[in-house]
Amino acid sequence: MSTEIGQGSFPSRIAIMVGAGFVPGMNAVVMGAALAAGKLGWEMVGIRDGFDGLLHPERYPEGGLVPLSPQLAENLDPAGGGILGQSARVDPFHVRTVNADEMVEEVDMSDELLKRLQAERIDALIAVVGGRGMSIFHKLHRKGVNAVCIPRSIENDIAATAVSFGFNSALSFTIEMLDRAHQAAQSARKIGVVEVLGEQAGWIALQAGIAVCADAVLIPEIPCDLQMVAARLKEKVTSRRPYGLVVVAEGAKLLDKPEATQPKASSLKDTLSPLATGDASEHVIQRSGQAAGTVATRLQLLIAEETFPLVLGAWARGGAPTSVDRQLGLGYGAGALRAVSAGTYGVMMAFVPPDIKFVPLAEAINKVRTVPADSEFVKIAQSLGICLGREI
Amino acid sequence: MKSQSGNPGGPTGTVLNIQRYCSHDGPGIRTTVFLKGCSLRCKWCGNPESIRFKPELAYDPRLCTGKKECGVCLKPPFPEGAFYVVEGADDKVHVNWDLATDCDEALVSLCPTNALSLYGKTMTVDEVLDEVEKDASFYRSSGGGITVSGGECLLQPDFTAALLEGAHKRGFNTAIETACNVPWAFVEKVLPHVDTMLHDHKLSIPERHKKWTGVSNERILANFKKAYETFPDIDFIARTPLIPGINADEEHIRAVLAFIRPHKNVIDYELLPYHRFGLGKYEHLGVVYELDDYKTPSEELVARLQAIIDEAFGRTDQKASAQK
Repeated sequence: MSTEIGQGSFPSRIAIMVGAGFVPGMNAVVMGAALAAGKLGWEMVGIRDGFDGLLHPERYPEGGLVPLSPQLAENLDPAGGGILGQSARVDPFHVRTVNADEMVEEVDMSDELLKRLQAERIDALIAVVGGRGMSIFHKLHRKGVNAVCIPRSIENDIAATAVSFGFNSALSFTIEMLDRAHQAAQSARKIGVVEVLGEQAGWIALQAGIAVCADAVLIPEIPCDLQMVAARLKEKVTSRRPYGLVVVAEGAKLLDKPEATQPKASSLKDTLSPLATGDASEHVIQRSGQAAGTVATRLQLLIAEETFPLVLGAWARGGAPTSVDRQLGLGYGAGALRAVSAGTYGVMMAFVPPDIKFVPLAEAINKVRTVPADSEFVKIAQSLGICLGREI
Repeated sequence: MKSQSGNPGGPTGTVLNIQRYCSHDGPGIRTTVFLKGCSLRCKWCGNPESIRFKPELAYDPRLCTGKKECGVCLKPPFPEGAFYVVEGADDKVHVNWDLATDCDEALVSLCPTNALSLYGKTMTVDEVLDEVEKDASFYRSSGGGITVSGGECLLQPDFTAALLEGAHKRGFNTAIETACNVPWAFVEKVLPHVDTMLHDHKLSIPERHKKWTGVSNERILANFKKAYETFPDIDFIARTPLIPGINADEEHIRAVLAFIRPHKNVIDYELLPYHRFGLGKYEHLGVVYELDDYKTPSEELVARLQAIIDEAFGRTDQKASAQK
């Protein structure tokens, strides 16, 4: 990784890899990067299954690297999601292995990764990753990897970009499902409480809730008073309109509950490394559905109406990408090659409308794009009479 | 394979926690010493802080007074980017666990509120035994003593052996809790100092064991069999963490019984319904851990499986209930 790009020489070979966690339309990013590399006359390869194709090539009889010629890229389905595959964990600093004594351990293979990149003559690495992946690539960049990251987040919680890849597809799917939940609530004459993705940021809940004119939207950024939600539902649910719809982000917080019993995946996540308990962990399987269950049960106790919980959870992570995400994916992929050709590494691509720009990883990490109290979406929700669980 | 502890001045061990007044980790009232480091990765693990060998960072946000009042960890000598505050949220510090990996005891001690701490500390045999000794009167009256658990206590064989040998010298009954996924040499080093060995039969079928714990159970079963035969004076108690959907079925229970019953020194087979796993951690962390991704086995299921065990051990209903 010693090529002095930007100072007279250019990379001969560029690799692209996809981090843990699926979002729709990953092929669009790969396609954009491969076509842009071909246009520049550079060779592009894809690493299979995160870093596995590079660190464990013996697992792949057909090769751990996928040649991504412009001809192949042109024939990729941009709505498809998986030419490179994925790994459950993408952290070369803690690679789970079974050692010679048949004991499981996590080992630091970052030096090995650098050696493998050199051996494969890979001069630059493009990574489609989420927030945690950015931190790992920040570390890798400090070790000398020429890295360019493309932000991928269902929750749209990466602060340095207005829109992360994958968010729009999840939002569209969520709106479609909320429409169905609305109809189900209407026919059943009950109040549907639908849990949607959003552990840290409530963008999906808020925007989708606005789109379907939900009665209430509960998001992590606005700790909610369920008494207030119940009062609002009492007003809205009448004999002429005997149903309701409440949208709950999975990370929603309730004002009148002690922190330790908030409906979230696990309070241990606050005290332990994600290596032990986080999303990439194999130790704890996330408990999707807790927020919907908690809110539905408690609302039913507060009002005379019957509630029913529904959980979208992982459903929103699959499917075909929307046209927005296809464009964004192609744009981010092609934009990453602009960063490489400029010799700009240790950066994340950012959509700052109307431009696609580069942001240093050091500035991109450790920031969460949450819904501010003065957000336009909050104002719209209030104008539409949607209860947010607290006076803003 | 070298053992994990090799201090020439006497073995030291990485201890996660010392828990007093335990009643389920062997006979009588016991003090359980949890060591750090495990060679399995059970997906249902309720003690993830025990898995890694080294002491590791822990953060309790309830103790953090925030950036305005404190902010010590946001500046050097703490690693750049390891701690941060989310704009617009509360003032409390968040941890970037990928960048905070180098935080050692010296750094953690700079946190004035103890929101930052380390799981695990290096201790000598005498330091541990002095702590254990505090409840010596309970051991004498109840037939209890010390239990060394983990993690996997056999991964620190020199320390565990010295600890148990020292406990014997002080007159304490000794027990270990182990999954036995270690080389036989480690087992052989520790067992001469053990009175009771509680050992896990997690899953019977090797492929399923590998799927749920990371490795096959073939070496584990070989170790158990060799231990039963090599150490006839030890009381062996088999155990199964009972998790519906994974191993809470008759087939597994009968397979374990078929394995242990030929060995007369395996004196019991206990079922550990899943909900028990987090208990120790509740106290240790002071937080509620709602680890119910898997459902707790029903009382009916546990009773049905327990009846199979009682029958295999030739217990009548009266005897079985008297033992409970």
